[in-house]
Amino acid sequence: MKPIGRGFVSWVEVAMLAPALVLLVMFLVVPFAMSIGLAFTNQPLLPGPIPTKFVGLGNFARILSSVEFWRAMLNVALFTLMVIPLQCGFALWSAILLNGQNRAKRLFQGLFFLPYITPMVVVCVVWSTMYQYPSGVFNSVLGVLTFGLFKPVEWLGNPHTALVAITMLSAWQAYGFQMVIYMAGLQNIPTDLYEAAAIDGVAGWRRFAWVTWPSLYQTNVFVLIITTIQALQLFTQVNILTQGGPQDSTNTLVHYIYRSGFVIQNVGRASAGSLILFLLIVSIYGVMSFLTKNDPTGEKP
Amino acid sequence: MNPRRIRDVLRTILLGVLSAIIIVPLVILFVSSLKGTRQEILADAGSWRAFIVADPTLKNFTDVLSPRSLTPFLRYLANSALVLAVTVLLTIVVSSMAAYVLLRGHFRGRKALLAIIAALYIIPNETIMLPMLYECLGLGITDSYFVQILPFVASPLFIFLLYQFFAQVPSSIAEAALIDGAGPFRIYSSIYLPLNGSSLATVAILQGMGMWNQYLWPLLSISTDNYRPITVAIASFFGSDTILWNLAMAGSVMMMMPVLLFFLFFQRYFIASVSSSAVKG
Repeated sequence: MKPIGRGFVSWVEVAMLAPALVLLVMFLVVPFAMSIGLAFTNQPLLPGPIPTKFVGLGNFARILSSVEFWRAMLNVALFTLMVIPLQCGFALWSAILLNGQNRAKRLFQGLFFLPYITPMVVVCVVWSTMYQYPSGVFNSVLGVLTFGLFKPVEWLGNPHTALVAITMLSAWQAYGFQMVIYMAGLQNIPTDLYEAAAIDGVAGWRRFAWVTWPSLYQTNVFVLIITTIQALQLFTQVNILTQGGPQDSTNTLVHYIYRSGFVIQNVGRASAGSLILFLLIVSIYGVMSFLTKNDPTGEKP
Repeated sequence: MNPRRIRDVLRTILLGVLSAIIIVPLVILFVSSLKGTRQEILADAGSWRAFIVADPTLKNFTDVLSPRSLTPFLRYLANSALVLAVTVLLTIVVSSMAAYVLLRGHFRGRKALLAIIAALYIIPNETIMLPMLYECLGLGITDSYFVQILPFVASPLFIFLLYQFFAQVPSSIAEAALIDGAGPFRIYSSIYLPLNGSSLATVAILQGMGMWNQYLWPLLSISTDNYRPITVAIASFFGSDTILWNLAMAGSVMMMMPVLLFFLFFQRYFIASVSSSAVKG
């Protein structure tokens, strides 16, 4: 075959690129465009007796005035506020513990990564036996630690504790990801910063506060944004364990979309909800690029 | 004791505490799967007996695997494994070909196309699931293997990752091959693929983990046992009033085992893949 110059179409190249483009259009661009179009209609999932019609901003008005939607938003916000310190804190803690010249590093790294490779469905099965009322692991351990003062709680069945229970399970399952990112971040801190700190007699907690933490600025921004976006997409564990209950206390944005589109079979409203989720995610990415460009330590991303 | 010694002891204690938090649920999983009845699992759940099994039995496994079982786990496992294998294979082929052409193709607008594909990455799966279900119902491809495979084959993330890996191959190699008369497919298949084995492994691991965990999409698009993946099958245990914990545990162990074995052998690649997806993506 002869080399092909500029301006000629190489059919081999077209054939190599086409499958990816066709699939991207069919299963990403088209559904996304459909979600924009359908968001302004009352389209049902399956053809029904009522004809589809344009409803303008009706779906958005309906969603934004619904108690269920705002409860889901509140839950997602609460979940985010709880899961970020828990999950990222554990991740950073483990990364720092493993960062030294530890011979057992690979062993512990592998061990700490195990929850992340454990399928969420499996995590749900095990943790729901741990949350059992009145005698699961959580109730028993808390009872023993408080010498019986702690009264057993129905973790997943009580509207005050269900979201906390979902948070702990989620943080346990996913924190390995943040740990790996923090390990990479810690390794990128120049050793001369630590040497300078040692000369100045800075060690221990102050070394963490003055050297390690500021040097992790870019990593922290990234971890914060990724964890927030993952929190916005919370669905699987909620769908399996609580179905959004009790009393909507664990309902989330994606679960709300799922209910509108699949249970109530209103694709129009589900599409409008999807667009709201999309806009939230885009604006979070916007915050990320603002934060990374305005690094107070003056480092370029 | 000097401060250094104290710090070492403290570090060991903290590592021990963390390890316990990590390992306890996994031990409970494996131990419970060997207990005979759901009552035994529940009765033991709150004490040290959750960590031991007095009378280990494989009955739960034979129960869920039996062809006459109400929960044909062999079928669910095979469905998940088949969907995973075909999707991973197709993803590697389709994404790497696209990445190669975007990098070394001879047409205008390659950079713009790459930028568009990278921008598509911002659309999360969750936001297109319902319209996609509506689309697939219209195409009549729901409740099949196709519907579980095709939507995930072309992913902006993997095309972009492979593009970046391929860009590290010096362009002089491709130019030399071009002068020797090799066509685009030849250069791709006999230079770029062999040189990027570890990048392809990264895509395979990330996609494999994602596919094994697929839940929302099969929940929407699959309606019969013929095509149901193991995730949805295990989750359906939760629908009944008396959850058959013993069978759920056995099913969970079977779902966990392949990942665990794979992880034990390829731990380093797993962790490197996850961190490269975060750094580059």
